[in-house]
Amino acid sequence: MRREQNIVIEVKDLTAGYGERVVLQSVNFKVQAGEILAILGPSGSGKSTLLKHLIGLNPPLAGAVWIDGKNLWTTEGAERQKLLLSFGVLYQSAALFGSSTVAENVRLPLEEFTDLPNLAKDLVVMSKLRLVGLSTAGDSKPAELSGGMQKRAALARAMALDPHILFLDEPSVGLDPITSAGLDELILQLSSALSLTFVIVTHDMESVYKIATRALMVDDESKSIIAEGRPADLRDQCQDPRVRAFFHRQSGTEGTMRQTVVT
Amino acid sequence: MRAERKPLSTIMPEAHVEVREEAGGHALVRLRGQLNFQTTGACWRELESKLRGKSIRAVEVDAAEVELTGGIGAALLRYLSEGGMTPGARVEMHRLSPQAETVLNAFAAEDFRTYQPKRPAKLSMPAEIGKFVRHLWEDIGDQVRFLGSITRAMTIALLLPRRMRWHEVRAIMETAGANALPIVSMVSVLVGVVTVLEASHPLANFGAQIYLADMIGFSSLRETGPVVTAILLAGRSGAAFAAELGTMKVNEELDALTTMGLNPIQFLVVQRVMAAVLLTPLLTLYAMMMGILGGLIIMRSLGFPPLMIYHQIVSRVDLSDLTVGITKAALFGVILGGMACLRGLQTGEGPSAVGVSTTRSVIACILLIILVNTLYSAVQYLWA
Repeated sequence: MRREQNIVIEVKDLTAGYGERVVLQSVNFKVQAGEILAILGPSGSGKSTLLKHLIGLNPPLAGAVWIDGKNLWTTEGAERQKLLLSFGVLYQSAALFGSSTVAENVRLPLEEFTDLPNLAKDLVVMSKLRLVGLSTAGDSKPAELSGGMQKRAALARAMALDPHILFLDEPSVGLDPITSAGLDELILQLSSALSLTFVIVTHDMESVYKIATRALMVDDESKSIIAEGRPADLRDQCQDPRVRAFFHRQSGTEGTMRQTVVT
Repeated sequence: MRAERKPLSTIMPEAHVEVREEAGGHALVRLRGQLNFQTTGACWRELESKLRGKSIRAVEVDAAEVELTGGIGAALLRYLSEGGMTPGARVEMHRLSPQAETVLNAFAAEDFRTYQPKRPAKLSMPAEIGKFVRHLWEDIGDQVRFLGSITRAMTIALLLPRRMRWHEVRAIMETAGANALPIVSMVSVLVGVVTVLEASHPLANFGAQIYLADMIGFSSLRETGPVVTAILLAGRSGAAFAAELGTMKVNEELDALTTMGLNPIQFLVVQRVMAAVLLTPLLTLYAMMMGILGGLIIMRSLGFPPLMIYHQIVSRVDLSDLTVGITKAALFGVILGGMACLRGLQTGEGPSAVGVSTTRSVIACILLIILVNTLYSAVQYLWA
C-alpha cells in the first residue's frame, strides 16, 4: 500500500502484451486526480493493449499498475472489488447489453452493487441519463440508438456507481463531428462538475486539443512512450519525427503505413 | 459472488443520518459522511422510515458534513429537498459544502419533481392470443413467399446449372453431410437396437419373434431412418445454416450482396437447400442400413441365423417402402434447408438475434418434419 498525494493512477515499469508477445516495454507514467490524459499513437502501437492493462483485463508481463495506491493485479478480495468499482470504462463499441433497454443497462450496476430502494435506482438512472442527454431514450434498446447515443448511454452506465476515474477507448470513433464535439463538451462538463479523472485512448486530434490536459504517445517500434506533455506543446515543440508526423498528419513515414497487428 | 462483495461495506467510509422531530411538525435532519453507492442505500431507507407518513410541515436538513461522490448521493439530497419523502412539507437544506453543491448542481431537479413509477404494460389474454395469431399468420405468409422464392431460384439453378455455385453445394454437403456420418451411425444403430429390444418380449409371448425382422425393416425404411436423420440434420446442419445467415445479416453482409446486385436467395439459400435435398436422402439411406444393422445385432444375440433374418426382411420389405423413406427424406431436406435459411434471413438486430433465430430454426424444422411425416402416413393410409 502506498499513495502519493493526488496521484490516482501510477504505471510503474509496466511491460504490456499478450503471453510471450511484448507490445510495450517498461512503461512509466502517473495520472493526477482531475486530469484528462490522452493516450495517442498510430494504429497498432499498443494503445488499447495498454488500456486493457490499466483496467485490469490483462495481467502485466512485468511491472504494475497502481490505482488509488493499490496494485491492481495483486490486490485481492473485497479490496480488489472496491478498486474495480472505483473506475468506469467506456468501450470502443459501447458494449451495451443488446437484450436490455438503455435504462436497464445503466441500472444493472445499481442492482448488483447497491442496496438502494427501487425508487432511488429509478431516480439515479434518470438523472444519469439526463446528464448525458438521453433522458427520453431510457426505454429504447441499444440497437435503436445512433452511434453517438450509444456512446452516451455507455458513458452513463460507466458512471452508474459514481467512479472517480473513467477510461474511454476511442470515444469519438464512428461519430460525426457534431456528435463528437458534443461528447467532448460532456467530458469537460463531467470533469469540472464531478472532478472526474479521464484516461482517453483516441485518434481524434481535434478532441485531444480541446479536452486533454496532457497527452502521451506510444510507439510500437521502440515499444515505449516517446512523448509526453500538453497536446499543443507536443504539436508545436516536439522534434521527434514520429511525433511530428503523427501531429501534423504526414503520411508515408515509418509507423503510419505499417500493417495493423495489435489495436 | 455476492458473498465476496459483503465485506466491501466494512472498508467503505460510512454515512450517518439523524432525524429529530420537534413540536409544530418540524423535523431536523442531519446527514454526515460520504454518500456513495455503498452508503446511500441505508441512509435512504432510514430517512424514508423516519420521515414518510409523519405529519411533518417543515424539514431542515443540515448537510455540512456531507461528501458527495456523484449522482447517487446527489439523488438522495435532491429527493429529500424536493419533498419526495415529506410530500407537502417545506424543505430547506443548509450548510452544503462547495464540493457537494457543485456535484448536486450537476444533476437537474426536474426528474425528481416529475417522477412517476412505471408500471410494466401487460396485455390482456385476448390481446395476447390475438397477437400470437397475427404473428403466426404473418409467419405462414413469410414461409409461403419464401417457398415461392426458393422454387423460382431452384428452377433457374436447374435450368441454368452453370450459374449454380456447385462447389459451394459440395462444400456444404461435406460439412453438413459427410461429417454427420458418425452421429447418424450411432443414433441409427441405437434406435434399431432399442426397437428390437423393446419388441422382443411382447412378440416372444406369441412365438412371433421372427417378425422382429419385418418390424425393423419396415420401421427403418419408412419411419426411423428418414425421421431420425432429418431431426439430427435439423439440429446439426439446420442450426448452422440459420446461425451462418443470421450472422451475415447482423454484419450487413446480406445488404452488401444486395447492393452488389446479387440476390441473397440465389447466392446463398439455393446452395444450402440443394445440398440439404441431396444429402438428406443419402444420409437416410445410410441411416436405414445402420438401423437394420442395430436390429440385426440384437436378433443374432437372440439366436436367429443371419440368412433367416435376411430372407424374412426381403420377403416382406419391398422397393415401395424404400421409395416412401427416400421421398420423405427429400421432403424433409427441403423443409430443413428452407426453414433454416428463412429463420437465418429473418434474424433481427442485437447480439441475441442470432441465437434466437437458431433456436427458432431448430424448433420449426423439427415441428414441420414431425407434422409432414404424420400427414404423409395419414394420406398413405387413407389412399391404401
